[in-house]
Amino acid sequence: MNRESLIHATLDGEITPEQHAQLEALLRDDWQVRRLYLELADQHARLLQQPAVNTGRLKQPSVMSRTARWRASALIASGAAIVLLAFIVWPRSAVDKEAISNGVAMVSDTLDADFAETAVRSGDAIAPGKLTLNRGLAQIEFFSGATVLIEGATQIEIISAWEARCVSGRVRVHVPPAAKGFLMHAPDVKVEDLGTEFALNVNGQESAVHVFDGEVIAHVKDKAPASLKGGMSLASTTAGVSPQEFLPISELQGLIRKREQRRFQQWQTWSEGVCDDPRLIAFYTFQHTPGDRWDRLVSNFAAPQQKLRAGGAVGAQWTQGRWPGKEALEFKRPGDRLRLNLDGSYTALTLSAWVKVDSVDKKYNSLLLTDGYDNGEPHWQIYEDGSLMFSIIYRPDGITRGGDWNQIYFSKPLFGPDSLGRWHHIAVSYDNRSGQVIQYFDGVEVSREVSRLHHSGRPITYGPCELGNWGLPTQGHPFPIRNLNGAIDEFAIYAAVLSGAEIQSIFENGNPK
Amino acid sequence: MSPESVSRTEQFVLLLAQHQEPVFRYIFSLVACEADARDILQETSLALYRKFDAYDASRPFLPWAYRFAYLQVQKHREKAARSPLLFSEDVMDLLAHDRERMEPELDQRLQLLNRCLAKLTPQDKELVTSRYAMRQGAEEMMQRFAMSRRTLFRNLELLRLRLHECVTRQLQSEGLS
Repeated sequence: MNRESLIHATLDGEITPEQHAQLEALLRDDWQVRRLYLELADQHARLLQQPAVNTGRLKQPSVMSRTARWRASALIASGAAIVLLAFIVWPRSAVDKEAISNGVAMVSDTLDADFAETAVRSGDAIAPGKLTLNRGLAQIEFFSGATVLIEGATQIEIISAWEARCVSGRVRVHVPPAAKGFLMHAPDVKVEDLGTEFALNVNGQESAVHVFDGEVIAHVKDKAPASLKGGMSLASTTAGVSPQEFLPISELQGLIRKREQRRFQQWQTWSEGVCDDPRLIAFYTFQHTPGDRWDRLVSNFAAPQQKLRAGGAVGAQWTQGRWPGKEALEFKRPGDRLRLNLDGSYTALTLSAWVKVDSVDKKYNSLLLTDGYDNGEPHWQIYEDGSLMFSIIYRPDGITRGGDWNQIYFSKPLFGPDSLGRWHHIAVSYDNRSGQVIQYFDGVEVSREVSRLHHSGRPITYGPCELGNWGLPTQGHPFPIRNLNGAIDEFAIYAAVLSGAEIQSIFENGNPK
Repeated sequence: MSPESVSRTEQFVLLLAQHQEPVFRYIFSLVACEADARDILQETSLALYRKFDAYDASRPFLPWAYRFAYLQVQKHREKAARSPLLFSEDVMDLLAHDRERMEPELDQRLQLLNRCLAKLTPQDKELVTSRYAMRQGAEEMMQRFAMSRRTLFRNLELLRLRLHECVTRQLQSEGLS
């Protein structure tokens, strides 16, 4: 029996104990099955309670013809059902569908780029279609291996991994041996690349080609194909082509590096100011200090310096952070973690972090968790569906386990194909009087909630805790695998609620782009 | 009864009448059995009435009521602990937590459900009427539609899947506009 049938059998009370156990195991392990179950159960419960909704538009069958009509409709119904069963493959729910993408190229780098198509970002896969760059520079890498550098204002049409069209503007194409045969269309001309670098300028209906290196075959309308070699141009009267007008691909990289350096410096200046914020409990910027010979130390930069709040990396390795030269700590293996010990008791908190999540592959993916989970200890994680999950527990005196005391706050799912593998800013704030938890993603509020379990005034404590993982295994006991799969390059813990504007400012000052 | 307590009782009856439907849906999602869910709803209503003095009228009623419903479901579970058709506590917890988060979306789905019901074929409408409005049992429906038990439940499953798909589609097209 498949998942759906198990759910329906339960709703109809037609389930056997074995099937029930099977369904229960699925519900336990897979949030997507739970989602489907909850949607179907809710729909069923509504139908059970609101017959008026369903029957309002139905004609009441007349008493006389009842039996006959039922027979007839039963025949139709069963006939229809057979047809449906035979010919319609029901759209299966997302439960066991493989993720698909129709991308044929990706935007690998941009510089001050403004696309007419909104929401195109560096790193995005792009599907066949038009791409219009109003200004700036963008480098497009086709999945065949060809690289196209476009300068605003330019419009290109991506046809496949092997074929594109320059509608207007200027492009520079680099084709490595693996992408030999890459085709670039332009009005009245088709350029077949034989492994080389060339530029194309399209002005209205006129096109001009210049070959920097290697060889291309230019197929001009109504003419025999012409071979163009390095240094040669093919230009009509109105659309000229002068090689120096085209930015070499290597130069884009140089410009991008410069911008990164500028952003990095801006962030450094900003973070030096932040260190003095008296609301900080700890501020980890993941930078080696010059005198640090022990590679495992993660300094706390909050002033005045509190050395006891420095972190110790376990397993986690140093990697590049948001910019070249900026470090981050990468969490990959089940044991990787950053150990902390934060003393004190607080009335509010804000956690703010720059993270690059590579994959949400566990049920719970750790951000900051205290060892164990005792009263007043905050836990911040990414849930298996990609949502941010903040929780804090207060059990009544004398109760150590069980019961419904856990205040859990979820955002909508945020980490998915679009956001994995990129740097994002995330933050959460909690006030122990109002009970309000607000979560942020890239400076924008994504959830605001008060738990039904909230009672005002209960203290917040951390004690021994860690970033990127959960807890030390007690002797002889296994521990749940909750390590983050990704990297952290800034983590701030405040003893106060930061305003939305402050979170927005942290995002803007630390935004890698 | 003092006038104050009368108005307090009235207040309770009003609130309960208003929220009984969602509370039933909440309970049903945890026990998946109509008869059990109705019993638990009764118990929950009683518990809510007894504890109504503790209810803070400035806060939403439903989350408060869910807490009682959850406890009643647990009580029911303990009573029928040996029943193999009840979810174990951890699964119930997961379902309760997930459902709480999904609630706005579930409510939105129900609003679209009416539209989708209206779009059903006459045959499907008959099936809905028979199963849900007239509360006919399996035997009765098998006779009425001249179907085997297997076909009947397969048809009910397909019907509900169609409704579910229709609601999902509408939700997506609403999300796009």
